[in-house]
Amino acid sequence: MPKHDTPLLDELEKGPWPSFVSDIKRQAEKKPECWDILGQLELSYEEKITHWKHGGIVGVFGYGGGIVGRYSDMPKRFPGVAHFHTVRLNQPSSKFYSTEKLRAICDLWEKYGSGMTNMHGSTGDMVLLGTTTKNLEPLFYELTHDLKQDLGGSGSNLRTPSCCLGKARCEWSCYDTQAICHHLTMHYQDEIHRPAFPYKFKFKFSGCPNDCVASIARSDLSVIGTWRDDIQIDQAAIQAYISGEYNSNAGAHADRDWGKFDIEKEVLSLCPTQCMRMDGDKLQIQTSECTRCMHCINVMPRALKPGKEQGATLLVGAKAPILDGAQFATMIVPFIKIDPENDFQEVIDFIENIWDWWMENGKNRERTGEAIQRVGLPAFLQVMNIEPIPQHIKEPRSNPYVFWKEEEVEGGWTRDVREFRKRHAQ
Amino acid sequence: MALSTEELEEAILAKAAKSPKPQLYIKDFYACDPETKPRAIKNVANGLVKQGKMVFWSSGSTTMYALPNRVKDEEHRTA
Ligand code: HEM
Ligand code: SF4
Ligand code: SF4
Repeated sequence: MPKHDTPLLDELEKGPWPSFVSDIKRQAEKKPECWDILGQLELSYEEKITHWKHGGIVGVFGYGGGIVGRYSDMPKRFPGVAHFHTVRLNQPSSKFYSTEKLRAICDLWEKYGSGMTNMHGSTGDMVLLGTTTKNLEPLFYELTHDLKQDLGGSGSNLRTPSCCLGKARCEWSCYDTQAICHHLTMHYQDEIHRPAFPYKFKFKFSGCPNDCVASIARSDLSVIGTWRDDIQIDQAAIQAYISGEYNSNAGAHADRDWGKFDIEKEVLSLCPTQCMRMDGDKLQIQTSECTRCMHCINVMPRALKPGKEQGATLLVGAKAPILDGAQFATMIVPFIKIDPENDFQEVIDFIENIWDWWMENGKNRERTGEAIQRVGLPAFLQVMNIEPIPQHIKEPRSNPYVFWKEEEVEGGWTRDVREFRKRHAQ
Repeated sequence: MALSTEELEEAILAKAAKSPKPQLYIKDFYACDPETKPRAIKNVANGLVKQGKMVFWSSGSTTMYALPNRVKDEEHRTA
């Protein structure tokens, strides 16, 4: 029996899509507090104002993150959601779990929480929605001792690192995304579990420019696999695509008839840098112009592969704030070897240079990308000790002045004012 | 000369006690000792939380620091 009438929410059950309202109603049969989510949300729909208060001092002992305090501002009317805290769990790298583990986590959450989950949040974590303060410590104890599962990051912490499937499943991966993701997760446990910065900081790892974890849009440091030499070409397989023997895009679009595969129209003319051509029946790619967009490889995976000299591009500063507008990360280092042999030291040095600068110069609640926007990319490159290259330039200059630095000017800024005034009276 | 850990702890607690706003950002404590690196100041502030002398207040997206007796207690509110 519904505890509240929810005519506005009920509208959301009518379309052909899955409905979170139906899901919560189903869960409310088992967990009556879920009725109060619906009741409070219905009221918000009527009044067009939220009744959630957010934030607080809740957490588990020794940690300063992973639990996000949520409270209703009408606890008398909706006691089921008087406390309704969110718990973030650090997902395994690439999100590989056994079903046994998933069941155990769900059982634990039925025991200590609302049973509602969000798999996975855009942060990467498994997000468990809705519990009370008194349940936090017992939940945390069983989670860590019985399930060997840890909390993730929230607040001004390093957020739970996340990575694509990488070499575990994907032949395009140019480095071992899981290895570095796991290594940095362990290396930075303190930064993940306790606040460390003026605001959040995220790393994400994709094995190739398809960027399956959307790191370029969602992380302060985005590590995207790439290669330095030529795309590997199997000319016989190219012919097999042209003749129709192989399905383009590995058959991903085969449910509709798009006509005969046309390499000119579907690959060559869509290459963003126009660096491909057919020389007779041989495909040629001018590597120096290729931006590694992956389009040709995605269309003809049996014929083309990333080159053999592999590494990653480092990009910095993505953000998606509500007020100032979203921004992709900016390419900072075009190519770096990702080297497990020395425990990824080059990447760690790069990260800590950013942190030292951002902690000192970033304003409160200013993401790294916003700080860079404020000071300008040239100033950031200088901090990072990186020589500007043409690929750093986003647009032609809009300011006509050239600013010299003191060390670039002979004699610096000092001059003998008295000597000058002898010639130029005031 | 940079402050010792104990001196820095005292300076941080004093700042948290007399600041007009009860919750402070980590950056607000940098001025307690301009000669200590921000990451080291952060470690001392987090140490004070571990000792129970300060608490974290988190919105979910940002975390602030406060003296336990100055922060609004959502847990025991009645209305
Ligand atoms: C029961 C109520 C709520 C539910 C079910 C809920 C659910 C969620 C979910 C699923 C996420 C995404 C996590 C992810 O993608 O990784 C999230 C993130 C977030 N929510 Fe809520 N939320 C609730 C209440 C609130 C309230 C009341 C506020 C603020 C007034 C809020 C602010 C945020 C913020 C700031 C984040 C992003 C945190 C970050 O990663 O920086 N939420 N919430
Ligand atoms: S980002 Fe690239 S390497 Fe990683 S799973 Fe996607 S396609 Fe494969
Ligand atoms: S990867 Fe992209 S830019 Fe490079 S050759 Fe293929 S389509 Fe052109």
